[in-house]
Amino acid sequence: MKKGFALMETIIVITFISVSLLLLYSTFIGMINSSKQNRLFDNVSNIYKTYYLKEYLNLQGLTNYTTNSIKELTCNDFNFASCSTLTKKLNVSHMYLVKYGKFNYDEKLYSNNFNDYLHLLSTSDDYQYRLIIEFLEGEEYSYASLALGGSHE
Amino acid sequence: MNKKGITIIEVLVSISLVSIIVLLLLNVILSLNKINNDDSYASQDEIDRSEIIKLIEDDFLALKLNGLTIEENKITFNYLDSTKKLIIFKDKIVYDNKEYPLESPKATYDSCFSYHYTQIDDNYYLITIDIPVLIDNVNTTKIDDLSLSYLALKNEFNNYPSNYTCSK
Repeated sequence: MKKGFALMETIIVITFISVSLLLLYSTFIGMINSSKQNRLFDNVSNIYKTYYLKEYLNLQGLTNYTTNSIKELTCNDFNFASCSTLTKKLNVSHMYLVKYGKFNYDEKLYSNNFNDYLHLLSTSDDYQYRLIIEFLEGEEYSYASLALGGSHE
Repeated sequence: MNKKGITIIEVLVSISLVSIIVLLLLNVILSLNKINNDDSYASQDEIDRSEIIKLIEDDFLALKLNGLTIEENKITFNYLDSTKKLIIFKDKIVYDNKEYPLESPKATYDSCFSYHYTQIDDNYYLITIDIPVLIDNVNTTKIDDLSLSYLALKNEFNNYPSNYTCSK
């Protein structure tokens, strides 16, 4: 008469339980990360600030710039005296013109939050670039972006 | 020879494998609990906050904000063809006669908000309004504040206060 568990049965049960628990773990980790994204990425207030910046920078020659990956934009790239006042009042830390869609770039040159944000952005529409604004309020960096140069504009 | 039962080594290995995964899950559940009960900022009002900001900003753009007046806890927005009031209470915001109460525990609005009018070059102006949300009477973070902005072309009918200082 067979008594107890064979080794194989034990391994199979343990494997099954481990895989189930790992799947649960990966689901919950996604939920934790998305709570950070909700706060810092595409905050509605920042989206409107990005919109106003985009509209004003378009008047100052934003459409003249191109890039194959990421180009950091500064006030030196635009010929209007109030650029630094405008960016300061809107709590802008950095501005980036980013190629729409997938591309290779050196992630070490940018912060982890910026890289996380870039990886989350959709690439399915027909646009040429994105204007990504990094805001700094207190000690927290937040991000918002708008697409540029597509059939929708 | 029939192999019967299970050796102690197998039991120990199995228990340690399951323990590692349970510890990971416990860590995740504790993090989720911390996020759910995070009262360091007004986390339960994020949806309402987004709705209010979107409503007001869309009005700025669609109804064409032309000016505003500020009283102690009230801002009257003057649009091209209409007027709407934003009233700040400790526990709620009222915009265009619709109330948005605060749900987060220990959170209150600070009626001492900031307002700035900035000239941008010769033809444009920028308005920024920030209504702080306090947690236990401290502005712990700006992420939950009601922040509004508006950048537009100047015209002869614009009427904005050049500055505002809270009297409290």
